[in-house]
Amino acid sequence: MSTQTTPATGEQHLLEVEDLHVEFHTSEGVAKAINGVDFSLDEGETLAILGESGSGKSVTAQAIMGILDMPPATIPAGRVLYKGQDLLTMPEEERRLTRGPEISMIFQDALSSLNPVFPVGWQIAEMFRVHRGVNKADAYAQAIKLMERVNIPAAKDRVKAYPHQFSGGMRQRIMIAMAIALDPKVLIADEPTTALDVTVQAQIMALLQELQEEFRMGLILITHDLGVVADVADRIAVMYAGRIVERAEVGDIYARPGHPYTKGLLESIPRLDQKGQKLSAIGGLPPNLTRIPPGCAFHPRCVMAQDICRTERPELLDVGPQRQSACHFSQEVLDA
Amino acid sequence: MTDKTTAQGATPGGPGNDEADATTTRAAVVAEAADGTSRSLTADAFRSLRRNPFFWISSALIVIFMLMAVWPSLFTTYDLGFNDLSRSRETPSGAHWFGTDTQGADIYTRTVYGARASILVGVLATTGVLLLGSLLGLIAGYVGGWVDTLISRLGDIFFAIPLLLVGIIFLSSLQDTPTLLGIPIQGYFGVIFQVVLVFVLFGWPSLMRLMRSSVIQVKPNDYVQAARALGATPMRIIRRHVLPNAMAPAIVVATINLGAYIAAEATLSFLGIGLRPPTVSWGVMINDGLTPLRASPHILFFPALFLSIAVLAFIMLGDAVRDAFDPKSR
Amino acid sequence: MGKYIVRRLLQMIPVVILSTFLIYAMVFAMPGDPTAGKCGERPCPAAYIEKFNAKYHLDEPLPVQYGYYAKNVVQGDLGENQYGRPVAEELSERFTVTAKLAVMALIFEGVIGILAGVLAGLRKGGFIDNLVLISTLFVISVPIFVTGFAAQYFLGLKWEIFPALATGKDPSLFSLVLPAMVLGSTSLAYIARLMRSNIAENIKSDYVRTAKAKGLTPRRVVGVHTLRNSLIPVVTFMGYDFGALLGGAIVTEGIFGINGVGGYIFKGIQNRDGIAVVGAVTALVIVYLLMNLLVDLLYGALDPRISND
Repeated sequence: MSTQTTPATGEQHLLEVEDLHVEFHTSEGVAKAINGVDFSLDEGETLAILGESGSGKSVTAQAIMGILDMPPATIPAGRVLYKGQDLLTMPEEERRLTRGPEISMIFQDALSSLNPVFPVGWQIAEMFRVHRGVNKADAYAQAIKLMERVNIPAAKDRVKAYPHQFSGGMRQRIMIAMAIALDPKVLIADEPTTALDVTVQAQIMALLQELQEEFRMGLILITHDLGVVADVADRIAVMYAGRIVERAEVGDIYARPGHPYTKGLLESIPRLDQKGQKLSAIGGLPPNLTRIPPGCAFHPRCVMAQDICRTERPELLDVGPQRQSACHFSQEVLDA
Repeated sequence: MTDKTTAQGATPGGPGNDEADATTTRAAVVAEAADGTSRSLTADAFRSLRRNPFFWISSALIVIFMLMAVWPSLFTTYDLGFNDLSRSRETPSGAHWFGTDTQGADIYTRTVYGARASILVGVLATTGVLLLGSLLGLIAGYVGGWVDTLISRLGDIFFAIPLLLVGIIFLSSLQDTPTLLGIPIQGYFGVIFQVVLVFVLFGWPSLMRLMRSSVIQVKPNDYVQAARALGATPMRIIRRHVLPNAMAPAIVVATINLGAYIAAEATLSFLGIGLRPPTVSWGVMINDGLTPLRASPHILFFPALFLSIAVLAFIMLGDAVRDAFDPKSR
Repeated sequence: MGKYIVRRLLQMIPVVILSTFLIYAMVFAMPGDPTAGKCGERPCPAAYIEKFNAKYHLDEPLPVQYGYYAKNVVQGDLGENQYGRPVAEELSERFTVTAKLAVMALIFEGVIGILAGVLAGLRKGGFIDNLVLISTLFVISVPIFVTGFAAQYFLGLKWEIFPALATGKDPSLFSLVLPAMVLGSTSLAYIARLMRSNIAENIKSDYVRTAKAKGLTPRRVVGVHTLRNSLIPVVTFMGYDFGALLGGAIVTEGIFGINGVGGYIFKGIQNRDGIAVVGAVTALVIVYLLMNLLVDLLYGALDPRISND
């Protein structure tokens, strides 16, 4: 497991995001979706990015993929290094060729993310035809193999079926098959199980883990669901209002959160061993990204907020071995 | 959170999925706080309507045409009956701004007076369609069951026949009939009645479908069910819950239809089965200008210009209202 | 797919029967003399009225009358015009020209409308988008007979770019170009607007985002993944429109003196030839309804979500 600190440790990570900023120019003003995000990912590692809606986790993923609509989005600062090369300054055509064979992505809602008017086999085969110039028959044969690999029963018969003819879990398997078709090194899964039933969720997560081990992929798992993350992730980055507020190994966070926000998230999960106790949720709503509060963005919702939180933004600082937190009172949180 | 956050302003160009969701939820909370989602949406729509130049241009044009229809002598010094055969087919001049026609009549005066027929047909047909279509749509949606099926299928049938074709058949078979159900249907108002009748008879399904779907949309809502359980009358439920939602699309469809009816009336008159001379209407004038088109195109040009501007004004207004109430359509 | 076809066919039957009944009722069940206006400006001779009554069974109750009438229509008998020629025969002679005109109009509106819509939709709010929005607003607003006369006067008579008329039994394709452009103009505007909003909406859809994430070229993202979905409603619209063009050419054919079905109705109205007008319009309504049915089936074939249930 690699350490996550400032860059320039000499050792090259598979993927490295440095000081990434993303803004959206809307009629209401400039929405600062991401305000300086740093993290790295190594081969075979799973990083979970955790946060509520609007925390910037999906935007981070799309910025790494290079599929943000620009405009309205702009990337005023930051670097996304893949094997040491900055994707953001790469010519678009060169960058396009990394999508699929190098970095790949699966989305939350497989029904709307698959094209409704093409057969699923066609959509998987398209990866081989476009990137490798494989002929139609061979591409279809490969598509069937992939569908079998992601455990779709009767793949041969269903290769010509359309997305709406599959169940939600099967559709997500098709998305996964498409994403791993060209053996990518990095797979970004954006809320891959949110739209699914609980039993299907577990199957999909198991499949993702299995594939990750098989292909030694770096996996970025984006989710708002702490439960999904616990068994799968190696490290967790918690995002709030476009910044990482806490970063740690998965066990540490569960045992001892280092940021009031993380703590709030953990306390809002129902737990069997605390039956009968009141479930606490974090009060209030995430901030409007065009008007992020000064100081610590979380202060209006924070039970521990003091005067300093309203004026001074806490930096993401080391608070223990391989963990950082951005809170003026992180030590108090850890000790609580 | 300030009151400036609104449901519409937040969505366009929103970041990823979750971001957009977040802003809408936030907006919804604000809207609720401002006492009812629909009211704040409506207020916002009117604000954006007031900023749209197309809205003002089209409204001004419509007011002018309405004035022409009600009070034509305000716009012209000539009498409608004026004609001077010695000045036949003169091109535009200081005395006759739009020139004169074959009879030597002032084209400007006739064009101004011609507005009345078009506006009358448009307004009456739209009102009729609005009333009949809404009523049937509300009944179909509210009662449901076989009544709904019957009204919907009837709508399919009336909607299936192109308006122009049915207008031709209807008007040509009534051409020499003096009365219909005891109502005289010849002469100026008689023919206008005929035209309006056929437009209403075959135009109601569009409004019916719109109203029906808005009723069906709100009916299963808990608060409507609760209101019903508490004994609210259908009238009250329709007034409180259905009409506020259906109003904007109904106005859009009605204004755009109004333009279309004016165009259809002119087309039928031009074909020789709507209004006929000596009645003055744009369609009739365009028909008159047909023969001398090559030598004196101005006879046809000016009524055609007025007709086009009138239709344009109504369609533009409909577009502007739709853009205001449905910001996604921009 | 099979079930879908059967269902659509079954839905169609009552619509055809009842809409032709409506037309019939409008013509024959109106108060007053149904032969009025069927013989030109003069009242009809007694012998004609008698023959007319017998032919249409006007002494029977209305549904029975309609039964006879429907039987005649099914057998291809649309009555005889004031010169005693069968209307059906006259129509079949004229149908080729009308079909040619309609196909040309369809090509014109399809090619230019789709192109304009795609360009506008890809850059919403841009120069081309505003140009398309404003010009289509004008085209939609100007009634087709005004467009027709303007085109005829300027392009035909004044600048002599195109022939101003397309008379004769078999007008050349070139002489049909101007009428076809006029005929297709309104639909062109609708197609451009429909295509614009489809493209603008689909380009933001999740599956287009997926297509980008798959590393496809921008050309393929738009040309394959966005276009295919955006075209389905447009193709459907064009199908319905083809039915309307076959019947809606009355004004255009009248203006350009084309001897098609529309021109026949145009002249029939001017000559007050009631039977000819009613017969021809009935035929057009039936053609229109059948075209709609065909389009619904086509739609089922184009959109897998409809047919593959």
